[in-house]
Amino acid sequence: MVISIAFLFCTLFARLFYLQIIQGSSLSTKAAEQWYRDLPLKAARGVIYDANGKILAENKDVYSVYVRPNAVTDIYEVASALSQNLGLSFDKLYDRISTERVSEITVKKAVDKETGERLRKLNLDGVYFTIDSKRNYPEGNLLSQIIGFTNIDSVGQSGLEGYYNKYLTGVDGFAYTETDIKGVEIDGAATKYVPGIPGCNITLTIDANIQSFAESAVMDAKVEWKSKSASMIVMDCTSGAIVAAAITPSYDLNDIPRDDINLLNALTKNTLIVDVYEPGSTFKTFTGAIALENGVSEKAMHYCKGYHMVDGQRIRCWKTIGHGSQSLTDGFKNSCNVVFMDLALSLGTERLYDGLQAFGFGQKTKVDFYGESAGIIMNESSVKTVDLARIGFGQAIAVTPLQMVTAFSAVVNGGTLYEPYFVESIDSYDGRNVFTHQKKVVRQVISEQTSEKMRDYLSVVVSEGSGKKAQVEGYSVGGKTGTAQKYGSSGVAQGKYVSSFIGAAPIDDPKYVVLMIVDEPGGYVYYGSMTATPYAGRVYAKIADYLGVSVQILAPTIEMPELTDVSLADAINIINELGLYYELVGEGTKVVSTIPVAGSMIPEGDVVLLRLG
Amino acid sequence: MNKQAKGGKFDRALCIVTVCLVLFGIVMVYSASMYSAEINYGSEYYFMYKQMLGAVLGFAAIGLMSIIDYHFLEKWKYVILAISIILLVLVFIPGIGIESYGAKRWINLPFFSMQASEISKFGFIVFTASYMAKNNKMMVKFKGILPVLLVGGTICVLIILEPNMSITLCMIMLMLVMLYVGGARIKHFLILAVPLALLVPILIMIEPYRLNRLMAFLDPWQSPLGEGYQLIQSFYSLGSGGLFGLGLFNSRQKYLFLPFSESDFIFSIIGEELGLMGCFFVIAAFMFMIFRSILIAQKAPDRFGCYLASGIAAIIAIQVIVNIAVVTGSIPPTGLPLPFISAGSTSLIVFCAGIGVLENISRQSHRGVLFLSSGIAQNALDKKKDKQKVKKNKK
Repeated sequence: MVISIAFLFCTLFARLFYLQIIQGSSLSTKAAEQWYRDLPLKAARGVIYDANGKILAENKDVYSVYVRPNAVTDIYEVASALSQNLGLSFDKLYDRISTERVSEITVKKAVDKETGERLRKLNLDGVYFTIDSKRNYPEGNLLSQIIGFTNIDSVGQSGLEGYYNKYLTGVDGFAYTETDIKGVEIDGAATKYVPGIPGCNITLTIDANIQSFAESAVMDAKVEWKSKSASMIVMDCTSGAIVAAAITPSYDLNDIPRDDINLLNALTKNTLIVDVYEPGSTFKTFTGAIALENGVSEKAMHYCKGYHMVDGQRIRCWKTIGHGSQSLTDGFKNSCNVVFMDLALSLGTERLYDGLQAFGFGQKTKVDFYGESAGIIMNESSVKTVDLARIGFGQAIAVTPLQMVTAFSAVVNGGTLYEPYFVESIDSYDGRNVFTHQKKVVRQVISEQTSEKMRDYLSVVVSEGSGKKAQVEGYSVGGKTGTAQKYGSSGVAQGKYVSSFIGAAPIDDPKYVVLMIVDEPGGYVYYGSMTATPYAGRVYAKIADYLGVSVQILAPTIEMPELTDVSLADAINIINELGLYYELVGEGTKVVSTIPVAGSMIPEGDVVLLRLG
Repeated sequence: MNKQAKGGKFDRALCIVTVCLVLFGIVMVYSASMYSAEINYGSEYYFMYKQMLGAVLGFAAIGLMSIIDYHFLEKWKYVILAISIILLVLVFIPGIGIESYGAKRWINLPFFSMQASEISKFGFIVFTASYMAKNNKMMVKFKGILPVLLVGGTICVLIILEPNMSITLCMIMLMLVMLYVGGARIKHFLILAVPLALLVPILIMIEPYRLNRLMAFLDPWQSPLGEGYQLIQSFYSLGSGGLFGLGLFNSRQKYLFLPFSESDFIFSIIGEELGLMGCFFVIAAFMFMIFRSILIAQKAPDRFGCYLASGIAAIIAIQVIVNIAVVTGSIPPTGLPLPFISAGSTSLIVFCAGIGVLENISRQSHRGVLFLSSGIAQNALDKKKDKQKVKKNKK
């Protein structure tokens, strides 16, 4: 009896030894997990700067308010104080605190600092606070589709906030508090703090000044032409850095329409990268560059009789009465479709496609942004001669605005295609450099000589042709206008145009490539030369001013003459005498109306629109 | 019969170890319950005061029972047995019995509540000791052990109806040990084993939660928030204690993590606060107490005293072993207090009374009996004595 009892006790002691000594540390670790309540200390998210160090996205201290129902001594007091200060329903709150069977209720997040501190001073039992940081965008609407936003927990959702979320996010810290099983803090227990590590700061290639020029340009264009939208992208063509990217309509990053998902999707979409548009005549730049690169004679003359017969199909030039005999320079200046059809046809599908592919069309640019589109380009094998001719002057192809500026940069910068990018550098919170962008050359597309010739042609377009309104006194601009009919699901969308201008300045040593797009201008004026070009001019003027290049924007003004019911030939003579340029709409021999109307004061050298009937 | 023993004396060591364990129990009950008592009763001393009252009454019981000749119990055995059974029945009468955690185990008294089964254990010991002493020759026959089985069985059935599985099992173990000490044959145990084995599935069928408990014991981590919860929390307590413990009053598990920390699972808190060393000393104290009781049984002046002492030693040993086995996850969990230490006045007073009875037996014991290792040997010895007694009685 004695022995068996002793044996049993020894067995139990051995079991105790196993639990307390051998398993001790693992058991006590597990036990410790339930002894502490840890409240996360949100690590600050990285700051986003523009190229000059201006803050585009930062953090603001906000409070999160929690209630541990078991620690609440006076539910009425707590519920009334919280509901009054946080604008919540008293009944709902009272109900939650008294009935919810959870140890902790999150009452409200992102409570502003002032309210949080006021509540804190009330010293309510069972109410706890953590200080979080909320994203704050000092510039509001500026660059909203590019920067993107975070969710309420500061996780990047869209735009650069989303793409660079991994870098911007810090490592959260914790506050450990000793509590009982219900989460009630134990008297005299110390709270241990493990501080968080802030996220990395990001410096963009965006220059907030130029961005603001672009923003006001697109807003003006949208209002003035009652367009569906307007957008502009500015690229440093010597590196591929995106200097400005503006889209209107836009939204305030500090007041995101999270409740309306359709509106949110529409407003937050970065159409410059994820959407395609019809480039129209601006695309002639590439046909021209590829033709020159392939040794097509510059001297050859073309004849425009208002259309071109291709495989028995009549493809019209925009000027139905024809441009007559045209050199390549004339072709650019007058944006003659026939000239570029000729070029495309003489190149042939293979050479044109090789060139377009070398410029990056039909491929993603690999920009540091989610959701990029590759553009829409016909399958090479299914390109018929008619298609070839159309592509030559910018039809039957759709590109992203970003592809356009990237390729155009290569045309003017000496022929080098760079990978476009938004982020210049990433630095850790304590100033250590994590990443610095190195220029990424994709390939040499055309030779320096071809590029130089292209700069000349583009220069002429602005100085003498359809791009006149982009002229800036003392700052040489070169570029190309474009007007394209939009395509819907059932072919050409009648009356819907997308008008654009793409240019580079200073044209002899290009730095900034600007693409201005006015999408579906309202009314019957839709030409790129009228609707898009002037805004590019304004932006260039501001850039020149900003860079300290001396400019005289004020040109002498003249009065618009009365041309209604005047024959086309006479009207052209009058316009030429006044030093104005013209574009024609419709068919006929007589002018039925003009824009601007007679009597308006317009700068010398302006382009006017003549409607024929 | 009322003669004083031939040179027997009060067992001071047994008394000291008992008092030490009771006082230690008060400290531990305070430590384990201070937080839950504050929350549930508004005073951190709630359980400690109750335990102190129990200790005072317990010490009084030691004193009283050590003075009263234990043969008094033999005379009143039927009354004691009757009271035990009546108390067990009273539990079921509404207004008298208190229901708690779905079981009716307590009797409401003006000043405190009483757990009826605690009394019945000792009622059974007294009755069985007396019966076996009188009918020791019958014990080798199955017929002879039947009255013991009948009384024990009745008590078991009443307790199981409360329901209180753990005390029932203790009763069965106590019954078996006492029968063994009384000289019952092994083969009769085997006959008993069959219905007992059948009883287990039946009991599980009545209350399916028992099967879950059984499964939880095999792998508590499978249901860490359900059946396995209590056991896991007990492991956390013991594991956190390590070798030397977190220090007296420093338990973290008592902050409502470990249920019944002041009663059934107080040993876990001892392990947490005082470590393996603390557990060692507590186990050592209990072993000393039990062996000391067995010694008293062996030196008892007569068969009744021997059986009575054996029964008391057995119930202490059974409860201590089962309790520690439960908290260490060695057997399926069952609610059983740790004698002398767990919060609970009835248990404390009754066990103290048991120590008092042992002291009285010790005082009446005779010298000269050497260490014997089992009740069977005592049996053989007693036969000689009985013959003398018979002669005496004839005279």
